[in-house]
This record gives sequence, structure tokens and C-alpha cells, in this order.
Amino acid sequence: MKNKYAFVAVMLAAILLVGMGLTNIYVNSQKGDEKEEELVIVTSFYPMYIAADNVVGDVSGVKLVNLSEPQTGCLHDFQLTPEDMKLLGTADIFLINGGGIESFMEEVAKSYPNLKIVEASKNNELLLDGDEENAHVWMSIPAYETQIETIAEELGRLDSDRSDYYKENAARYLEKLAPLRERQQKIEEAAAGQSVVLFHEAYDYVAEDYGLKVSHVLDLDEERQVSAGEVSDVLAAIERDQVKYIFAEETYGKSMGDTMEKESDVKVVYLNPLNRGEYEKDSYIEGMSKNLDLLEQCFLSGE
Amino acid sequence: MIDWTSWLSYDFMKSAFLAILIITPLFGLMGTMIVNKKMAYFSDALGHSALTGIAVGVVCGIPDTNLSMVIFAVVFALLLNKIGSKSTASTDTIISVFSSCSVAIGLAILSKGGNFSKYSGILVGDVLSITKQEIIYLVVIFAVTIIFWGICFNWMNAICIHRALAGSKRIPVRLMDNIFAVLVALIVMMSIKWVGILIINALLILPAAASRNISVNMREYHLFSLIFSVFSGVLGLILSYYTNVATGPMIVIIASLIYFLTYFFGKKCRE
Repeated sequence: MKNKYAFVAVMLAAILLVGMGLTNIYVNSQKGDEKEEELVIVTSFYPMYIAADNVVGDVSGVKLVNLSEPQTGCLHDFQLTPEDMKLLGTADIFLINGGGIESFMEEVAKSYPNLKIVEASKNNELLLDGDEENAHVWMSIPAYETQIETIAEELGRLDSDRSDYYKENAARYLEKLAPLRERQQKIEEAAAGQSVVLFHEAYDYVAEDYGLKVSHVLDLDEERQVSAGEVSDVLAAIERDQVKYIFAEETYGKSMGDTMEKESDVKVVYLNPLNRGEYEKDSYIEGMSKNLDLLEQCFLSGE
Repeated sequence: MIDWTSWLSYDFMKSAFLAILIITPLFGLMGTMIVNKKMAYFSDALGHSALTGIAVGVVCGIPDTNLSMVIFAVVFALLLNKIGSKSTASTDTIISVFSSCSVAIGLAILSKGGNFSKYSGILVGDVLSITKQEIIYLVVIFAVTIIFWGICFNWMNAICIHRALAGSKRIPVRLMDNIFAVLVALIVMMSIKWVGILIINALLILPAAASRNISVNMREYHLFSLIFSVFSGVLGLILSYYTNVATGPMIVIIASLIYFLTYFFGKKCRE
């Protein structure tokens, strides 16, 4: 039965060659497709993707890719995978939020010194948490508008052929954001000066937007254990400043929020930190107007 | 032309390659016995029980789903063996009942609140998910299986050929069955995350079945099964990297191709 071994050898060799040949043809045909898309913009995480999506719009020849998954949320403990590094290798422009939220930037800059990096918050004044910058700029509507302008400006500078498109799209998006801003200002008039407790550092920007005094911050962003001491600190702060409202995130703050409502007369408002969702252009606007609904109920519906 | 070595520059591909080099010989080896013992449906049911294993882990709050998967699969395999040997209904009925019941429980728990999409990755598998720790587990299972094979193969083979006769020769039939089932459970669970539930069984069955098409004795049967298994595993991994498809399906496609070719060759030889 010598020819059996010959058959096996020939069969495996044939499969190997055919497989490699077909793959070769396939990969080459893929390359042909990619050439049409001249510019690849990679965004770091969800809010940046939504912002860029609105600025880039339907301009032809630009491919917009998000590095992380839409449900990743903030990138606090994000680990770059080899796949991510591969993706960044194909990118022309890397759009980041800045303010330290992309903690892996050093690694990226080392691997890809020629990658053009756009920092959306470079024209924003970031709030400080102690010594660290608070990067959740997009939670403030005016600051978000500044980010949009910065993105359009920077993309236009790096890709001058399409700069008019970027400006046009940004202007259209800013127009859509204007009503949100008006609502925000109305709430601000009624709310300014009141004290709040925050369960997420992103809401520092909300407090800033509405002129609220932050009486205490307990950052529940990452899944972490809260000690009894911290709970009593929060309760003491509520007592001291006669806090009526706590701003929290539903995912991480719910159980803590329930405890607070039981222990005191405070009301917990679950705001959306807008850092995860679906890839839809208007998701920021929708999420923010829901937040505004909640805030209007608190501060405007005659108390 | 493509650079056929570029995939080696990524660490995740290196660990995937290593995992495949360890696991595919095991698939080839175990597959021969699974095919002989007519246990294809059994290993399929085991694969499906991974879903329930994950669900149990989620419910009990075990952070390492590997652990809950393995525990559940071992319990599941032993239970199947036990009931299968006692019940009057035929084995495939029992397995079907168990399999659909466990899948239903798994799906019910995991799809709670419309969140099943989080777990759908496990259906098709993902090579990126192979961790260093899992490779260590694989090495351990590899060693255990080889030792078991060395010591117990003749007994296993005797049981396969004639259960009652093997029992009369004082071979611990029940024990052998249980050890074999547990080993299959361990191997399936350790590789399911990157192969995928839907096709894991094909990897166990196809190389052995293809080998059976053309071999005339046990030695050939094992040899060809091993070769086919490793070959389709390695080629499947590399091709899937360049064509950007999931690795498990690619391996299975190649293994099926081998099966059909050997089928026609074997048929021609016999004529």
C-alpha cells in the first residue's frame, strides 16, 4: 500500500498550494479595494467616534474606524491588543480625546512615530482632580462644541483637500447642538449655586455647566468596592451642604444610589455619561437631551 | 505576493500557533477513539454544554468562566455516562435530551435582558482569546492524555471491540469510560473559546473519520489522523489570518476537504 502514503502527501501538498494560491489572490484583490479609501482616521473611543462621524460625514475617500468597541466606555484600563496595533498601523490620523484618558498613547507614539495625532480637547480648559486632569470634557455642551471645532480645524489642516467639507459638516452639527445649549442655559439660571454630590468624575463637567457646587465626589466609574467610611463621608457631605441631588451613572451607581435614597432625603439622578452606545450619528444629541430632560425635572418643574 | 511569515510577528498569533500545535494532535488522537466508540454525538453535546457552563459561572459570580465551564462539562459528561448505562432508552435519545436541556438553560440565562450578543463570540470562536495561562492548561492536559493513552489504550480498544468480553477480562470498563469522557470534556472546554461551539465537534471527528477512510490498521489510523489534524489546524490558522475569517471554521473547511478526498480515494481502492 505504498501509493496510499503517496496519495496523502500529494493531497496535502495540493491543499496547501491551492489554499495559499487562493489566499494570495484574495489578499491582492482586497488591496485593490483599499486603495480607493485614501485616508484612514482611527478614533480612540466612542464619544470621539460620534464626534468625528459628524464632522467627517459622507465625504468620499475617508474611512473612519473606532479603536475600541462601542460598549467599552472610558478607556481607563484599556489594554491595546496586537489587533489594535495593527489597525493603528494602517491609520493616517489618530483622533484622541486627550487629557490622559488614552493612557496607552506613549506606547502608540513609540511604535508609530509618524502617525498624526489629533487631540480633540487641546483647546479646552480641563478641570483638575487634584493633580490629574479630568478628561470627560464631552459632558459639557459648550466644551463639546469647542471639541467639534477643534476636530474640524485639525482635520482640515492635515487633509486640506477636504477641509471645506469638514467645516461645513461641523457647522451643521453645531447648529444641531445649539438647542441643547439653550436648554442648558435655562436650567443653569434656575440651578446655579445649589450643591450636588457626584458619583462619577465625568459629572464634574455637568456641575461646571450649570454652576452647581460640588460638595463631594465618589468616583464609581470602575467596578470597585466602596468602604463604609466612604459612604458615611458622602452622607456627611449631604447633611452639611443640604444636598438635594446626586448625579450618578446607572450601570455602576445604582446600588449605591438606592442606599443613599434610603439613608437620606436626597434624590439620585441617573445621567448618561455618553461614553458608550450604538454607532449612530445623533446618539450624543439624543443622550444629552435625555440628560437635560432629567435635569429639567429636577430644577425647573416648580419646586 | 504575500509575505507568508508576517503572521509570526504578532504575539497573539504565536500563542495561537502554539495552542494549535498542542491541541490538534490531541484532537487527532481522541478523535480515533470517539469515532470507534461511536461517540460523535456525545462530544457534540459536550461542546454545547459549554454555554451552560458559562451561564452557571455568570450566575454564581465565578469570574473565571474557564473554571465553571470545565466543572460543568465534567459533571455533565459523568452524568451522561451514568444515565446512558442505566436507562432503557437508546444513547442518542439520552444525549439529545441532556444536550437540548443544557443549551436551553444556558441560553435562557445568558440571553436575560437581551444581552446574548456579549456571548455570541463563543459560537464561532476567537483566536485572540488564547492566553498564556490557557496554554499551560493545554500542556498539562496534553501530558495527561498521552500518559493515559500509553497505559490504557489496549484496554480502551478491547472495550471498543467487545464490552462484555472486556469486562470478563477484568478490565474496568466503567472507569475507562468515565476517564475518557472526562478527558474529552477537558479538551473540548479548553479549546472551545477559540474554536467555537458550533464546530468544535468537527475538529474531533473529521481527522479521525478521514483517516478511517484509508487506513487498514490501528497504527495507520492514528498516524493519518494526527497528520490530518495538525495539518488542517496549522494551515487553517495561517489562511484565516490572511483572509481575516474566524480560525475555527477555516480549519474545519480544510479538514472536510481532506475527508472528502480520502473518501473517494478509499472507495476507489476497495473496488
